[in-house]
Amino acid sequence: MKPFAYSRETGLDHALARGKEDGVRYLAGGTTLIDLMRLGVEEPSTVVDLRALPLRDIKADGDGVQIGALATNTEVAYHPLIAKAYPVLSEALLSGASPQLRNMASVGGNLLQRTRCSYFRDPSSPCNKRMAGSGCPALDGYNRSNAILGVSSSCIATHPSDMAVALLALDAVVHVRGGGGERAVPMGDFHVAPGSTPAVETALQKGEIITHVTVPASPFAQRSHYVKVRDRASYAFALSSAAVALDVSGGVVKSARVVLGGVATKPWRATEAEAELVGKPPTSMSFDAAGAAAVRGAVPRTHNAFKVELAKRTVARALRDLVGKA
Amino acid sequence: MKNRLIGTSVPRKEAFDKVTGRARYVDDVSFPGMIYGTTVRSKVARGRLRGIALGPGIPWDEFVVVTAKDIPGINAIHLINDDQPCLADGVINHPEEPVVLLAHPDKHLLEKARQAVVLDIDELPAVHSIEDALAKTAVVWGEDNIFKRYTIEKGDIAEAFANADVILEGHYETGAQEQLYIENNGVIASYSEEAGVTIWGSLQCPYYIQKALIPLFGVGPERARVIQLETGGGFGGKEEYPSMIASHAALLAKKAGVPVKIIYDRAEDMAATTKRHPSRTVVRAAVMRDGTVVGLDIDFAIDGGAYSTLSQVVLSRGLIHAAGPYSCPNVHILGRAVATNSPPHGAFRGFGAPQSIFALERHLDEIGKYLGIAPDEIRRRNFVKPGQTLATGQVVRDDVDMNVLLDRALEAAGWGDKKARFAVENREEGSVKRGIGLATFLHGTGFTGSGEKFLASIVGVEATADGHVRVLAASTEIGQGTNTIFAQIAGDALGVDYDVIQVGQPDTAFVPNSGPTVASRTCTIVGKLVETAALGLRQTLLGSGLLEEPYSSEQFVKACSAYVARSGELRAYAEYKQPPYIKWDEDTFKGDAYGAYSWAVYVASVKVDTLTYEATVEDFVALQEVGKVIHPTLAAGQIEGGVAQGIGWALYENVVWKNGRMANDRMTDYIMPTSVDLPPIRALFAESPYSYGPSGAKGIGELPMDGPGPAIVNAILDAVGIGIPRIPATPEVVMEAYLANTSVTRVCRATEVARG
Repeated sequence: MKPFAYSRETGLDHALARGKEDGVRYLAGGTTLIDLMRLGVEEPSTVVDLRALPLRDIKADGDGVQIGALATNTEVAYHPLIAKAYPVLSEALLSGASPQLRNMASVGGNLLQRTRCSYFRDPSSPCNKRMAGSGCPALDGYNRSNAILGVSSSCIATHPSDMAVALLALDAVVHVRGGGGERAVPMGDFHVAPGSTPAVETALQKGEIITHVTVPASPFAQRSHYVKVRDRASYAFALSSAAVALDVSGGVVKSARVVLGGVATKPWRATEAEAELVGKPPTSMSFDAAGAAAVRGAVPRTHNAFKVELAKRTVARALRDLVGKA
Repeated sequence: MKNRLIGTSVPRKEAFDKVTGRARYVDDVSFPGMIYGTTVRSKVARGRLRGIALGPGIPWDEFVVVTAKDIPGINAIHLINDDQPCLADGVINHPEEPVVLLAHPDKHLLEKARQAVVLDIDELPAVHSIEDALAKTAVVWGEDNIFKRYTIEKGDIAEAFANADVILEGHYETGAQEQLYIENNGVIASYSEEAGVTIWGSLQCPYYIQKALIPLFGVGPERARVIQLETGGGFGGKEEYPSMIASHAALLAKKAGVPVKIIYDRAEDMAATTKRHPSRTVVRAAVMRDGTVVGLDIDFAIDGGAYSTLSQVVLSRGLIHAAGPYSCPNVHILGRAVATNSPPHGAFRGFGAPQSIFALERHLDEIGKYLGIAPDEIRRRNFVKPGQTLATGQVVRDDVDMNVLLDRALEAAGWGDKKARFAVENREEGSVKRGIGLATFLHGTGFTGSGEKFLASIVGVEATADGHVRVLAASTEIGQGTNTIFAQIAGDALGVDYDVIQVGQPDTAFVPNSGPTVASRTCTIVGKLVETAALGLRQTLLGSGLLEEPYSSEQFVKACSAYVARSGELRAYAEYKQPPYIKWDEDTFKGDAYGAYSWAVYVASVKVDTLTYEATVEDFVALQEVGKVIHPTLAAGQIEGGVAQGIGWALYENVVWKNGRMANDRMTDYIMPTSVDLPPIRALFAESPYSYGPSGAKGIGELPMDGPGPAIVNAILDAVGIGIPRIPATPEVVMEAYLANTSVTRVCRATEVARG
C-alpha cells in the first residue's frame, strides 16, 4: 500500500474544507476504500476520517425516517423503525457481506461503494473507469458478474450494493453538504449509468459529503421484500436481486416498485415491470409478466447471459414471496 | 505396547502457539537487511521471448534484477523430467510463466517496477483443452502433447463387451480447483558463499526443495538447507510449487547479497500456482440385465498444463482408482496426461483419484437408472470382496465388507425414509426438489506401486539433555496434525506421557528424509517409522541399565537424561521396509498398487431450486474404514474438511480459463463455500487394522475428497432426474442440463447388444 497521511475531523465544516485538497479521500467504514488502497486502485495522499462526525443517528422524520450517513449497516438493519416499516431495507442490508463487514460499513459508504468488476480492481489491467480511454476488457473478457442493464460500450461494471437497491424502491432521498450548502438528491438521480464517462458514478460532487438519507412513508413501504440470488449463502455479491414493494387494495395493485440489483450498472428501477403490475390483481401471471418486462433491453454477454433469465425469475419470486408473506 | 494416547483426542502440539498468536509464519519472520522480491510473468500463453525492457519512471539502479542468465546451474525445477524452467528463457509456454525477478526494500515501488517491465513476446498458437491437445491442433510438448500414457488390462475386454446385455457409454468432466490454503505461498531465502542457500518457508516437502536447489545452484546438499516454518495449509498446493518460489527467492538473495522475502498475494497465488488437474473421462460399461458390470473400458485424460511436473504420478493414481472398489473381471483403462498452455496443474488432495472416481460413480447411477436398479443395489452387485482382485490384479487383503459399510451409511443417512419422503414432496408444487445420492470408493495409502520402496524414508528419535524425546522427521505439520499423531505414536511406543514427546522442526540440516508430506502417507508410513524408531530408543535405554520395566514417565525422563549425560547422545532411526507381499510391475501396471486401501461410503442429501438452479447440500454422511483412528477429533476434522473441499469442487469452485489463464483469480469471483453453505457433515469410522500401519492405521488425508462430487451429483439426478455430466455443477451448468433435459440418453448412450 502506498504510504498516506491520516487525519480525523470532528466537525463537518472542517471536514468539508479538507475535501477541497488534492489527493484527499474520506474514510467512513473503510470496507471499500481500504480494500482499494491495498489493491493500488486508490492511492490517496491523505485519508480524512469522518467517523467522529455527528452523523450516526437514526430517527423518525415526520411519517418517515432519517438515517445518518455514518450509521452502520447493522444499526440500520436492526433499528425498530426500519425493521418494521421498511422490511425491504432491513432484508437487503442483512443479505449483504458478513456480520463483521456490516458492523463497519456505513450508509454513506455503501451508497458510494465501488464495483467488484475484477478489471477495475486490477491496476495492471485497462479500465475506462480507472483510466479514461484505456479500454474495457470486461466486454470480451470474464464478465460473469458484470451488468446486462444500463451498460455502455465503455463500461459494464455492476453496481454491487444491496442497500441502494432497497432505498431506490422506497423513494429515498440522499442529503449532501458541500461548499454551496445543502442539497437533496432523489435516489433515482443519485447513481448514474456509465455512458461515455464511467468514472462518474454518482451525483456527488468533489468536496461534498453525504449527511443523511431520508426515507418517506409510502403506502407500499411496509409490504416490501428483498430477494437476493448469489453464489453462496453468505459473503457474496448478488448475481441478481430484486427489491419489490406493492400497495394492494381491493384485490388490485395500486402502486408498485420493482428495482433490480446485481444486473445493472446502477440500482435499476424497472418501471416497465411496475406498469405490468399496476391495475391488476397480484397473480403469478402478472408477476411473470413483470419479470419479463424488467429485463427488456438487456444486453447479455458471454459469461453473464444467464442473468437475463435469472433476473426475470428473481423478480417473479420476490413478488410471489411478498404476496405469500402478507 | 499398550495404547494410552492413540485413540484419544489429546491437545494438538502446536495449538497453544497458534491460538495465542505465538506461532510464526513466514510473513512474521524478518532478517536484518532483508528486502522483498517479486516476479514478472508472461501475459501470453505461448510464444517466443524476444526481449525484456525495463520501462521508464523507475529507479532501476536501486533494483536487483534476475533473469535466466543469472542462474548458476541448470535452469530447471528439478522434479521428474526437469522440463520446467525456473525462469523462462527464449520460450514461453503458459500465462503467468516467470521471466524476470525483481527485489527492492520498498514493496510499493517494487509493484510499480513489476508493472513497468515489458516483455516482448511473439505469440505462437496455443492449446487450451484436453481435446485440442489430443487432436494436436498445435504441438506444444514433445511430439504429441502427451506427457505420459499408461494402461491397465484385466481379463478379456472384447469378450465381455460381446457377451453383455447392454453397453452404456458416458462422458464426464471435472474442473480445475484451487487449493485455497489460508496462508499463501511465501519464502525467505538467504545466500552466502560459505553456507550456500538457506530457505525458510511455508511448505510441505523440505527435501523436494533441497533437491531442486542443488542442480539450480550447482551445489551439494550441505549447501542447500531448507527449514519449514509454521504452515497455514497445503492440500498439495505446497508440495512441488514451493521449489519454484524458493528457487526464485534464492536467486535474488544470491545477487542481492541480503535475504529476500517473496510472499504471493492471493491473486498471484491463484493465477500462477498449481491447481487440481481438469479431467475428462469416457466410461464404457458392459453390463448384464441384473446390473453386474462385466466389462469396463475407461479412457481417462487429465490436463497437466504446460510442463510435466507431477502429472504422470497424478495420472497413475487416477488410473488405478478408476475402476473403484468393484470386482469387474474385464477391465481396460487408458490413461493420458496431456500438455496444454496453462500453468502446470499439480498436487491437490486426492491426486487424480477424485477425477476418475467421479466418472465411474456417476456412471454407475446412470447404469442403474437405465436398468431400473437402485444406486445402492447396483453397487452391491459389483463390490469386490476380500480375496478377489481389483483392476490391477491386486488381491484384496484388507478385511473389508463394503455391504456392511453401505448398510451402516444408508442407515445413518436415513436413505429409505428420505427416498420415500422426497418422492412424495417432489410431486407437490413448488420450485424446490430434494434428492439423495451416494458414492462408494477406496483410496490407496502411500505412494503408488514401488514408490515407497524407492523413497526409503528414514525417521529418527533422539533424547534431549533434559530427558525428553524428540521426533526427527521431514514430514511437516501443515494443519492436519502431523506433530500430534507422531507424539501419540512415539509416546505409546515408549510408554510415556504425551508431554515427554517433542517434534523437531523440519530442517534438512537436522532431520532425516522421511519423504514428502503427501499421498495420505504421513500417518501410516511415517507414523510406523516413528513407532519403530521409538521402540529402538526404548530398547537401547532398557539395555543400558538406566531403566527397568515397569517404569513411569518420570523414571523414563530421568533415564533418558542420564543416558545423554553419560554417552553424549541417544538416537534411534528406522528405515522403511516394504511389506514382503507387495509386488508391482511399473510397466504393465499389474500387482499391488498400494499396501492398503481405506474404504468409504458417502451419502449426500441435496435440494435443487428449479427457479434459480441452485443446488445445496443439506446433509452429508461420510463413513470410512481407516484401519485405526489415531486421534478422533483430528480424524473427524480431516473428513469434515475434505468433504467441505469436495462440496466446493462439486458445486461452487469454478476456475474460469481465458487463453490458459485463470480469469477469476480472486475470492470474490472464485466461490468457495462458507460454513453457511455446508450441511452437517457426519464423519463415521470403521476400524479394521492394517498390520503395517501404526496400531493398524491407514491413510485418510485424501480420501474425503473422492466421494462428495459423485454423491452430490447423483443426488441431483435423484432430485430432478437430470444427470449432470460435469462439475462444478454451478447453477449455470444445472440450467444448461435442465433446459437440454439431459437424460440418460444424453449423458450416457446405451446400446443393447443383439444376440445372434
